[in-house]
Amino acid sequence: VSQITPEMILEALGDGTRRKMISDLSQGPMSVSLLSQNLGVSLTAIGQHLHVLEACGLVSTHKIGRVRSCQLNDAGFVILENWASAMKSPWRKRLEWISDVLDSEK
Amino acid sequence: MSQTTPLHTQQYLEHRYAHSPEKVFAAFSNPELKARWFAPPGPDGPKRFTSDFRVGGLEHIGWTMGSETPLPGAELASETLYLDIVTNRRIITGSNMKINGTPMSGSLITVEFHPEADGCRLCLTHQVVFLENSDGPEMREQGWRKLLSNLETLL
Repeated sequence: VSQITPEMILEALGDGTRRKMISDLSQGPMSVSLLSQNLGVSLTAIGQHLHVLEACGLVSTHKIGRVRSCQLNDAGFVILENWASAMKSPWRKRLEWISDVLDSEK
Repeated sequence: MSQTTPLHTQQYLEHRYAHSPEKVFAAFSNPELKARWFAPPGPDGPKRFTSDFRVGGLEHIGWTMGSETPLPGAELASETLYLDIVTNRRIITGSNMKINGTPMSGSLITVEFHPEADGCRLCLTHQVVFLENSDGPEMREQGWRKLLSNLETLL
């Protein structure tokens, strides 16, 4: 398994169709054909987009019987979240820590 | 690129708390509480922290960079002067940041506490001037300019 980088994920999310796929899948798992219908994009194109999203850990797919089902993969979102967190201003982090301190007081 | 003249920056942040302005203010005015979020032990080990919370009072923080960092043994320190305090409303401070005793920057920080129906809205304005040596040759060489500006904005 190759190393997934935040850059790979951000590149993948730079495409509008792929963002819509992610958004649709956030409602729950879906078959490839339903994704294709919902977005008005050909099965071939959806397949290519899924390949990119799977490679960067945002989506996983499983073929069960004759249907390929797609769902969001937590792994990529953890990498994305860690990246976003690392980019946060140090003062933002401190202001969040104040909440932790105050919450633990009572 | 080497920074050859002072660089000025400004940052504005808002944060909401489910606690009263009095409690959030105490997280700044009470040195024991403040140490828990402002000077928590990091990968570099414990930090030295003292605070004399009154107008004209000084606050100190300092630590030694650990062996896991690119500048092991470097001494980082900051002195803060309390310029204005309005209880439960506002705190204004001026501070420096030094590495091995040499100033890297100066900051002016204004923190305002606004009461809200269900807690407190904190507004923080942070103005900084970064000095020439905030990206000195050895740090640049090690690609640590970013780290140091991060450390910088911490204080």
